[in-house]
Amino acid sequence: MELFLQAASVAFLPSAIGAVGLGVLIGLIFGSIPGLTFTVALALALPITFSMEPVAAIGLLLGTYIGGMTGGSVSAILLGIPGTPSAAATVLDGYPMTKKGEASIALGTAVIVSVFGGIFSLIVMIVSVDLVSRLAISFGPAEIFALVLFGMSTICGLCGGSIIKGLISGVLGLMMMTIGLDEIDGVPRMTFDSVNLLQGVNLLVAMIGLFAIPFIIEVATQRMDVAPTRVAKIRAHLPSLNLLWRKVWLMVRCSVLGTGIGAIPGTGGAIASFLAYDHARRFSKERDSFGKGNIEGVIAPETANNAVTGGTLIPLLSLGIPGDPATAIVLAGLMIHGITPGPALFMQHATEVYGMYIAVVIAYVWVLALQLVGIRFFVHVLKIPRELLAVAVLVLCAIGAYSIRNSAFDIYAMGVIGVLAYVFVALRVPITPIILGMVLGPTLENEFRTAMMLSGGKAGIFLTSPIALLFFTLALLVIGLQVVSELKFRRNPQEKVKA
Amino acid sequence: MKFTYRIRGAVTAIAAVALVALGGAAKAEFPEKPVEMTVLFGGTANTIAQLLSELMSDALGQPVVPVSRTGGGGAVGYSHVVGTAPDGYNIVWNSNSINTARHTGHVPFDYSAFAPIARVSIEIPALAVNASTGWTSLADMAEAAKSSDKILRVGISGKGSFTHLTSAALFDAMGIGDKVAYISYGKGKAPVELLAGRIDAAIQWPGQFKSYVEAGDLTVLAVTGDERVAILPDVPTAMEQDVDVNISMWRGLAAPAGTPEDVVAKLAAAAEEAVDSEEFQKAAGNIGFSPAYQGSEEFGKLIAKDDKFYGDLLKKLGMAM
Repeated sequence: MELFLQAASVAFLPSAIGAVGLGVLIGLIFGSIPGLTFTVALALALPITFSMEPVAAIGLLLGTYIGGMTGGSVSAILLGIPGTPSAAATVLDGYPMTKKGEASIALGTAVIVSVFGGIFSLIVMIVSVDLVSRLAISFGPAEIFALVLFGMSTICGLCGGSIIKGLISGVLGLMMMTIGLDEIDGVPRMTFDSVNLLQGVNLLVAMIGLFAIPFIIEVATQRMDVAPTRVAKIRAHLPSLNLLWRKVWLMVRCSVLGTGIGAIPGTGGAIASFLAYDHARRFSKERDSFGKGNIEGVIAPETANNAVTGGTLIPLLSLGIPGDPATAIVLAGLMIHGITPGPALFMQHATEVYGMYIAVVIAYVWVLALQLVGIRFFVHVLKIPRELLAVAVLVLCAIGAYSIRNSAFDIYAMGVIGVLAYVFVALRVPITPIILGMVLGPTLENEFRTAMMLSGGKAGIFLTSPIALLFFTLALLVIGLQVVSELKFRRNPQEKVKA
Repeated sequence: MKFTYRIRGAVTAIAAVALVALGGAAKAEFPEKPVEMTVLFGGTANTIAQLLSELMSDALGQPVVPVSRTGGGGAVGYSHVVGTAPDGYNIVWNSNSINTARHTGHVPFDYSAFAPIARVSIEIPALAVNASTGWTSLADMAEAAKSSDKILRVGISGKGSFTHLTSAALFDAMGIGDKVAYISYGKGKAPVELLAGRIDAAIQWPGQFKSYVEAGDLTVLAVTGDERVAILPDVPTAMEQDVDVNISMWRGLAAPAGTPEDVVAKLAAAAEEAVDSEEFQKAAGNIGFSPAYQGSEEFGKLIAKDDKFYGDLLKKLGMAM
């Protein structure tokens, strides 16, 4: 308790609260603008923290991380272009809601459930950091492979009408991620002796191309006299508490899921949000309205991806392992202030740890305040004529694609992938599975190969672990159910008009 | 003010390109515009680079802007810098990766395409095992490995990575080179895998093991440099244990070959001032690297010596092109 009060006295200093607020603002801006991501924001914020007090410095970084995570939903909902990979699943129902004129409801819901998920996971983390980190250790390569394979099975739920088309898209995503220098064997693959291809296809670059370029091409080829699908009146309605209360059980389940996945190193926000989306769809009473603007399709991924923030803090603090590039930068910020994560952290730096917990809560208060005020302004983006918006988006995306790795090659890569995505959209092939394949592909492959090396080439390693078997069974179940329902649909197409 | 500069400098490097295009006309004293420092890796490399560039900016009077160009084991960044003008405004935060990138065939040029500026830091790898093995020295480990049919599983970052090369050299010198199998993990996961008992040993940076050693979960048997490391002062070097291995990773600065000597000297002086600063020394202790400034000429000799060493090692491992 004494330690807590000591931490509180540091964390509630105006300078610390201000630093967290600044971080949240930076994160929100970078997260909400398509093309700019919070990983870039964190990299820029890191040097400012060198000369700050430890708690304020960590607060700034955590604020940026959390602000970025919640900001990603803004452009996902308003423009159908996710600001971060973690928000890619939010597009599926968030953007249709905007088309129905419910943008502000979707945005408001996203913010509130984000805060719910974030605080929930923080509490789980504080209470059970020891237990969860011990569980996380038991996830070896074979177990992570099984978990990620289970994640892949959610492709089934993202296919729209046709499993075949969904698989084409998903496999293409997997194939794209094999380009580049293979880390395990140190061998270049599919690079055709090009140094630029040696760096591989960046996930964020591909994501910008996949979602933003089709939007831009569509606007450019539209006849100017055709009225765009825009709502005449834009009001900043917020979701009613009653509506949210009815979904609280879904929010709890998605928070647990997000926290759990966040705690396992090598996974992250994108996997969690897709699994949560699939979970919500599968157990929803109004399953057919998913993809057409069902609010549950916003609640599930947004709760889960913010619950990941608390989850990733578990291996970060207790084991010193960053779960993704963003937390790797937070880790650097901790280390430079002499706070070395690991088993000894909670004894040596208890004050700073408590200070971090408080900073996370403060960050979410800032998120709530800034976003709820911001929604009033965000929705006005929809009033901007689409042709002007498209130009702005194109410029931002080019800057964003370049800034991730400071590589002009990435701007071209974004263009090529974007044109491909436009063709896919025209052929009614879903593009979300590409993202899923790209997010999961490298983990899937690396963990499989590492597991095989561990076992000396014997595949039995996957069948002797109960955790792995559990996830294999779940994956089989998901695929089996989908095949059955697809066969049913083929036999009686009139039963469901639009699957 | 500093922050707004950074956003401009690092995010929209388009502006920087424009600056380069406009600024080349008049010849004045170096530096008259920002210096771009290409960073090849994330993690510790990036953190040190950000701190170094901040401190060098103070010394030079012009901003040094760290720009991350990762990928291909450094090949992407090296290729970018090789293609820039040798005027000192484009430098690279380099490491032993220049030797390995060349010998594995990822870049078509070698270290001589760069003018060495200065060595800045070194990091010394450490070999850790699970405390439950009871091993306390390299001899214990070698004996256990030799007397058993079991193959030891050793965690590395990836084939051809620095941790792999160090492991290979160390286990060869210990005479158990044929008793180990290498398991490639991504970066940073080795301590957990050791803890969980999925691997028997791993070579990583001392900073990653420190907390576990204090908690009594892992034992560090040796460090592979010629001196002990400050954060694990009780751990002897391999040479103290009669195993003839001396490998450490250096990081430093280089510019494209042909950069004028006075420009190189100015950059080296700025780097020296940064390394000597209290802030840099303190960060070194926290992050777990050793500040090790070395001037241009000596640094060049070190790179040339290492080039032969890593070339031979990679050839032995069948990875050289």
